[in-house]
Amino acid sequence: MTPLVELRHVNRTFKKGRTPIPVLQDINLAVAPNEILCLVGESGCGKTTTGKIMAGLLDASSGEMLYEGRSLVAYRGQARADARRALQIVHQDPFASLNPAHTIGQILSYPLKRHNMVQGRAAVRRRIWELLTLVDLTPPGDIVNKFPHQLSGGQRQRVSIARALTVEPRLIVADEAVSMVDVSIRISLLKMLHRLRDELNVAIVFITHDLALAKYFAWEGRIAVMYLGRVVEIGATANVIGHPAHPYTRALIAAIPEADPELTRNKQRMKLRSEDIPSLTQIPPGCSFHPRCPFFVPGVCDTRVPPLENAPGFSQDVACIPLTSGMGLQEWAPVEDMVADGP
Amino acid sequence: MTFNSHNDVVLSVQDLSISYLTPRGRLRAVSHASFDLHQGETLALIGESGCGKSTLNLGLMRLLPTNARVDGGRIEYTRRDGAPIDVLRLNDRQLRQFRWSECSMVFQAALNSLNPVIRVRDMFYDTAAAHGKRFRRQVRDRALDLFRRVRLDPERVFNAYPHELSGGMRQRVLLALALLLNPQVVILDEPTTAVDILTQRTIIEVLKAIREELNFSTIFISHDLSVAAEMADTVATMYAGEIVEIGPVYELFYRPRHAYTLGLLEAVPRLSAGEEELVSIPGSPPDLIEPPAGCKFHVRCPFATDRCRVEPPPLEPVGENHLAACWEKARVLTHALENAYHDAPR
Ligand SMILES: Nc1ncnc2c1ncn2[C@@H]1O[C@H](COP(=O)(O)OP(=O)(O)OP(=O)(O)O)[C@@H](O)[C@H]1O
Ligand SMILES: Nc1ncnc2c1ncn2[C@@H]1O[C@H](COP(=O)(O)OP(=O)(O)OP(=O)(O)O)[C@@H](O)[C@H]1O
Ligand SMILES: [Mg+2]
Ligand SMILES: [Mg+2]
Repeated sequence: MTPLVELRHVNRTFKKGRTPIPVLQDINLAVAPNEILCLVGESGCGKTTTGKIMAGLLDASSGEMLYEGRSLVAYRGQARADARRALQIVHQDPFASLNPAHTIGQILSYPLKRHNMVQGRAAVRRRIWELLTLVDLTPPGDIVNKFPHQLSGGQRQRVSIARALTVEPRLIVADEAVSMVDVSIRISLLKMLHRLRDELNVAIVFITHDLALAKYFAWEGRIAVMYLGRVVEIGATANVIGHPAHPYTRALIAAIPEADPELTRNKQRMKLRSEDIPSLTQIPPGCSFHPRCPFFVPGVCDTRVPPLENAPGFSQDVACIPLTSGMGLQEWAPVEDMVADGP
Repeated sequence: MTFNSHNDVVLSVQDLSISYLTPRGRLRAVSHASFDLHQGETLALIGESGCGKSTLNLGLMRLLPTNARVDGGRIEYTRRDGAPIDVLRLNDRQLRQFRWSECSMVFQAALNSLNPVIRVRDMFYDTAAAHGKRFRRQVRDRALDLFRRVRLDPERVFNAYPHELSGGMRQRVLLALALLLNPQVVILDEPTTAVDILTQRTIIEVLKAIREELNFSTIFISHDLSVAAEMADTVATMYAGEIVEIGPVYELFYRPRHAYTLGLLEAVPRLSAGEEELVSIPGSPPDLIEPPAGCKFHVRCPFATDRCRVEPPPLEPVGENHLAACWEKARVLTHALENAYHDAPR
């Protein structure tokens, strides 16, 4: 089946002064129609940049972004407008992205009219009612005349999602879409996204730095773990979380505290060789994780960039030469105290 | 660790209420809060945004903004020499002595508020001087010792500007600064919230090690239940300005008695738990200017009965050192045990 969107060998640089900073390197990701893909990783690893490229909001510096098998830049005229519309993004902070001077009704009617999604005032109104009901903002009559500041954070995020739905997208990139809402109501937003995916047949790229949330949301989908602008591991969620392959993924999973005292206090920790995250201006050669990796093999890990491929014994793909070449990981030494000396 | 002896209480808060005067009216941010903090104990305060966690702790430090009023209650602090201090009655001079030397705080979002033109060492010298400690040599030695304990490269960090340090390093500098004058109580307001996973792990490990070594008590504010699960001896759940449940961490997580605590527990995913059935708490927190009658949580509570709608439940003992303010505690417990997402140690 043709992927809905696909990134092929995508690189992206940003200029800092005169030096181009490589923010994404050789990203290859495909999202199938109706699929859930989570992008996880620490701050600055390139999740948002990847999401923006997938949503057609940002161009790749090199490589290709394909929509339904064709390069996005090859679309012309109406087809191009349709492709752009099919790709929507929902941001972290609904406050910043909703016009404070417009009512919720106005916020939703604008894209409906601009893209001629429905004709006539009555139809616009009916569609707004439908959309608000879809995102569980009921009764819609109570909401349409309100301004964004009169809603709670969770409700505002529902409005952002409803707005993304006005143009009947095929893909929604949800970038930290629930990070700013309280723990107590996050799950209801995620359940709603799940339901929309089923009912409207959209694919969702879910970006988060919270692995536990990614696990919950993408249980039936896939997770891609990013580190310093590259995907280092990708596969079915249950495999990546239950049997992580890449040392970086293992380190993350070992480091995360759990909302269960017994579980979290008895979790095995992993000691890294260094705590410092290298700067994007000085990405280490070979595997960029090697200076921190407890399984580092000199002469192997610091010379060749590891390709993202299947490793024997795992069902996911991983960018780690000792694993993919079948050497295996040595010095797998769980220690109670994972913190290295020094800063 | 259990804390039940009464003679090692360092901080005792009794019936503390705090309001803000706002254009719309009086906002009750903390309502009749009571708890004891023991020597070496870590108390985690959990609860949704706006439930009063920061206000309560600013109140303990007497650092409330000018539009805040302490409506009533007592804060009793016991010095190392055993002398009791009535915190709400301290004058300005005594307060300066109390703050930082007895009780210090790492503020919420302090990470980004460090003055960029002041070197780390001057933050330490200035803080010490403000409390009458002018021997720079001693201050330096103490700072370097603390840096070593929080696993920072002492010399480099001491002479650095804040922007030369990563977020995790800055948070550890702030922790060292809070410990500079060897306080008995350290309040940490969301110390790991804005940091990355591996950095958070470092901070957690450093905190665990250093609280053992230096034996201070901690009030740990977090909206993140997992950090509380790992760090706390005792957990207090706050809802709409009230402490609605408080107890030993294992009790609270495995045998909760308040419907709100249970609601929070059922709303957070656990990474290693496989496929999970989670539920959100419906609705949103109440208006603190005109809070609902009865139990303030009843509007959102799946267990609520007619009684909950009219009669506020008292905070009562439900087990050893465990108190809860919920009319439906028995049903809450039964539900928690039946839907156990864990193999609770019984
Ligand atoms: N417009 C831009 N100009 C310059 N640099 C940028 C720009 N956008 C992003 N970057 C840099 O690219 C890198 C990746 O940023 P990105 O926002 O994609 O990371 P992220 O994984 O989403 O991080 P976070 O978890 O903090 O949101 C960062 O180092 C960032 O500073
Ligand atoms: N200076 C102030 N003036 C008026 N109201 C305030 C002020 N500071 C806080 N509040 C209100 O008091 C209540 C408690 O706020 P507080 O900051 O103590 O909550 P919190 O639990 O620390 O929340 P968070 O998790 O978001 O930090 C909230 O309703 C808040 O809006
Ligand atoms: Mg981002
Ligand atoms: Mg706060």
